[in-house]
Amino acid sequence: MFLPQSWMFRIRPAAMVCLATFTLGAQESSLAERLYVSGDRAYARKAYTEALETWNQLLSQAPQSPFAAQALVRLARHQMEQERKPEAALPFLERLKNEHIKTPWAAEGMLMRGRILMDQARKPQDLREAMGEFNRLADLFPDHPALPEARYRLGLAYEMQGQWSRALQHHLEALRLDPTFALAPAAHLRAAEVMDILGDLPGCLRTLQELRLRYPQSSEAKEAQWRLAVRVKHRLQKPVLTSEGPWPNGKTKWLKTPTLLAVGPRGDLFIYQDDRDQAFRLEGADAVAVGPLVKNAKALTVMADGQLALLSAKNGITHASTVPVAGLSYPTGLFQDGWQGFWVSDAKNAALTLVGADGATRTLPSPAATAMASLPTGGAVVASDANRSLLFLDATGQPKLTVPYGKDLPAPFRSVLSLASDPTGHVAAIVEGPFEGVVLWGPDGALLRFAAFKTLGLNGRFRAIALDRTGGVILADRSNDLLIRLN
Amino acid sequence: MSLLRTCFVPLLFAASSLWTTAALGQDPQLKDTFQQAKVLWGNQGDRDGATARFEQVQSALEGKELKSEWAQILAETYNWLAVLDSGSAARKSRVNAHLEALLNLNPDFELDSAITNGRLLAAFDALRNAKLVKVALTLEPQGGELKVDGKLRSSALKFLAPGSHRITYQKPGFQTVESQVELALKEPKALEFKLQRTSSTVTIHTSPAGAEVLLDGKAQGQTLDSSGELSAPFVLGDLGSGSHVLEVRAPCFKSRRIELDPSFTAPFQDHTLEPLRLEPSRGRLTVQSDATGGELFLDGKSQGKVPVQDLQVCAGTYDLTVRYPAGGFSTRIDVREDQGQSVIAKPMARLVYVGFEGEEDFAGKDRLLKALETLGPRLTTLAFTAIKGESPQAAMARLKTSGEAELVLWVKPGAGRPVQDVELILATFQGEEARAQVKPLEQDPLQGWVERLNHLPPFSRPWIGATLLDVPGEAGPWVLEVQEGAQSAGLKANLPITQVNGQAVATVAEFRTALDQAKGETVTVMQGSESLRLPLTRAGLEIPVNAPDLCYPVLLAELRLRAAEAKGDELGWLRLDQALAFMHFRRHDRALEILRDTRILATRGVSQGTLDYYTGVCLQRLGQAYVPEAIQAFSQALKYPNATLFGPEGPLVAPLARQAMDDLRP
Repeated sequence: MFLPQSWMFRIRPAAMVCLATFTLGAQESSLAERLYVSGDRAYARKAYTEALETWNQLLSQAPQSPFAAQALVRLARHQMEQERKPEAALPFLERLKNEHIKTPWAAEGMLMRGRILMDQARKPQDLREAMGEFNRLADLFPDHPALPEARYRLGLAYEMQGQWSRALQHHLEALRLDPTFALAPAAHLRAAEVMDILGDLPGCLRTLQELRLRYPQSSEAKEAQWRLAVRVKHRLQKPVLTSEGPWPNGKTKWLKTPTLLAVGPRGDLFIYQDDRDQAFRLEGADAVAVGPLVKNAKALTVMADGQLALLSAKNGITHASTVPVAGLSYPTGLFQDGWQGFWVSDAKNAALTLVGADGATRTLPSPAATAMASLPTGGAVVASDANRSLLFLDATGQPKLTVPYGKDLPAPFRSVLSLASDPTGHVAAIVEGPFEGVVLWGPDGALLRFAAFKTLGLNGRFRAIALDRTGGVILADRSNDLLIRLN
Repeated sequence: MSLLRTCFVPLLFAASSLWTTAALGQDPQLKDTFQQAKVLWGNQGDRDGATARFEQVQSALEGKELKSEWAQILAETYNWLAVLDSGSAARKSRVNAHLEALLNLNPDFELDSAITNGRLLAAFDALRNAKLVKVALTLEPQGGELKVDGKLRSSALKFLAPGSHRITYQKPGFQTVESQVELALKEPKALEFKLQRTSSTVTIHTSPAGAEVLLDGKAQGQTLDSSGELSAPFVLGDLGSGSHVLEVRAPCFKSRRIELDPSFTAPFQDHTLEPLRLEPSRGRLTVQSDATGGELFLDGKSQGKVPVQDLQVCAGTYDLTVRYPAGGFSTRIDVREDQGQSVIAKPMARLVYVGFEGEEDFAGKDRLLKALETLGPRLTTLAFTAIKGESPQAAMARLKTSGEAELVLWVKPGAGRPVQDVELILATFQGEEARAQVKPLEQDPLQGWVERLNHLPPFSRPWIGATLLDVPGEAGPWVLEVQEGAQSAGLKANLPITQVNGQAVATVAEFRTALDQAKGETVTVMQGSESLRLPLTRAGLEIPVNAPDLCYPVLLAELRLRAAEAKGDELGWLRLDQALAFMHFRRHDRALEILRDTRILATRGVSQGTLDYYTGVCLQRLGQAYVPEAIQAFSQALKYPNATLFGPEGPLVAPLARQAMDDLRP
């Protein structure tokens, strides 16, 4: 068969192009692999600059190679883990999603991007994009090993939005997929906590126990241990409160007017001594000064990173920096919420003030609060002497529950002098009035334990209260300069 | 003549003896024919009849390798035929051919002068002298082995063909002598072979024959059968100065070790030991099985139906297999002498390795394929066999039809060239697959894969109907919740349990371990000062849907086998787990079929509510068309407020079902 010469000209270049493309494709793949491996070796010996340069070279030489997808993941991870600049990882992750969506590396990228966006979120709406990434991962990569973590993080996101049933659904789905994935202990712990919020205390306790049995070496198992023990003690066993006397080790007259107490995320006790204008951390039986000097602090809280924040009428919120809060006259409460904003209460203001992470301030309608403490739901419990009730607010500030002062007690009380909570939702108060003593409520407002000072054999000016992690109640006596522990 | 010192190797003797005895046997009736021929001529003078029968013998034996007995018969037959033909004018011409054949067969044969006339004798001598050279052998000592040009010859050798010959004479314990001789017609030659003693010999006879003989730990060969109780003599030569250890072993018999002290070799002598009678060496094998219909095989030989009790078997290592109507069991056992070995067999999924798909060669291929072929002893949850000599496709097609296996494993090269990764594919015959990439050059490329195959999650666990917690300050696991059965038996909430079946328990983990060890239908616990007898049942457990340490085709096969033997709620739990395994493969349609076909009577823990919930999940995954049915299934699940996921102490189904309904409702 003879073809016209013009056909020959057309075919030959086309065939050559095909051949060249094929050859180039193989070469490119080989080059991409070598560049990736070279970068990997450099990274392993901590020659980060060399590694990053090599991977960037790979991205420009063979941008479509699967090794380019891996390189993008590594570059993003480097920004997150070594440089601690999550925002610098985002361009790599976006490129990964746009150019390599079909590779399994895209799933890892989606998870990473979702995590960064979630960390950056400062209000519920900010979570949408992060949740979108996790959901996309679930839809596009249903067999990917990252899926359980994506489910777990969706659960966390729903928790932050106060959608507890959905949160539980995702935490359990993560465990249903793979109970051995790296964050399975955390998923167990969060599932247990959500169950309690949803009112399923037995389910919560069963799940905490299962967590301890399944992952006994995990940090979450230690967390589960005290959370389980405290719940059983306060809500099921409810032993009568008795005084252990001055604490720790019977120490007396060792403080200078302790007026505020707080417990940190690791269970450390912090004491603000008014005469020293300083907060202290209890280490063993000694108090070690921590945080800034603040005169006349009226509220103390420990933030998620373990740092202290103090509230005073004059300075507002003081931590690493000072955040002025307008309109404070008699501040009574302070805590940091899940969005890194501060909730502030004042006995003279019929509203709560919310100071956002960006410094923006807004108010939530509330009766004037004589005391305030945080709740694990992200909301707060507010004591209002004017209304003679405790008000349980959700994360949006909506009242969920009202507990009249003195309900189920042998005698009513008139005023709440101090209010404290623990991460499992127990609320304790020092009260005065016809009933003077200590009262403990559950997260549902049910009265759990109480004791009158007279019955406890205590005499003093108790102005601060805290709940420890073994089910004890710590009281600060400002006139006798000591702490008392109730058990 | 040159002297050649060689080590005498008893194996050579053994081999030559073997050759002699292993020569083709002949029809014993030929001997009758031979005798009839002699009688026909000798008693009846029937020359033709005799000739016909001798010819029958001749044609049956001529041109074949013959034992000495048959060679002698053939030689005599030639003699007879020469005699008979010499008396017949018609066949006289054949006489010479008979005599020549006789000379070729045995040059040393002497014609029977009782039947052969002088003329024929002279003719035979003349023929022999024309063709062969007479030799006069002197052999010292007697009883050695004579070889001419590599062929074994009688030591009574008298004639050899003219020309060059290599003659070897050897005897155990003596230096071998080899000589190259030149022979010429009509020049008789005297040949002398005098061997020099170099070592001692020991001759043994064993009972049974076939025993392996070792000298100083080195294998020397096996004793050979003889017609008697004892083996043929086995000569151990080359026993140099000093002491030696002789060991005789035979399968199914106790080994014997004999110390040969230095007197055996000073001076060098031939010794014959007392016969070595080996004592039988046996052990007992008991194989039990709860499943019915199993047949026991040891090294592929049937030993009858299981259970077997104290079956007497030879001590040694065996591949033990039990074949059940569905599933199989295989393990390697070591039966020790005079000891009992017990095996509890249960039907396990049968995995067949069918080989490598493709022709590619790559580094580490042989090693990897060998490791796959011998995977069996490493697998604890599967009965394994490997198929050779059949293509993977053909083997799979055959196995699918025959139903001999539940699972099939094959290997194919990874995508890259040169091949650096190999893909292992394990599949059910219904098409559910698990794949794994392995690197052939790794130290143990199959390690991770084997761990995955061996990992079977529990499908249920012992249960007393109470939820326990570890509460600080309590004397033992603290009772949170009590179900009806345990409550009726006296178990109270909010108090600790301190003992299980007399064993102190301080934690929930210890309690569960004690429960795992408990047998029977009840368990005794101490609560306070009260001893309570509680019903001991089992509670269903869910399998995870996407755990990387599980191999889901293996799980499916295992669940199918267990379900075939189960009933009641246990069957229901197994079928629920089957559905979950199908959900792993996103076969929600298959999972739904199973769930709809399953009922669980229990209303607490993993129960009917759990089934209904997963029914809803499957319907939800099947798409929008099934939303109303999914809502109905979730609504059904809400009727069981105590139903849980995962296990008896897992999270409640109800809030999840409620949320799922809310999500589905427009």
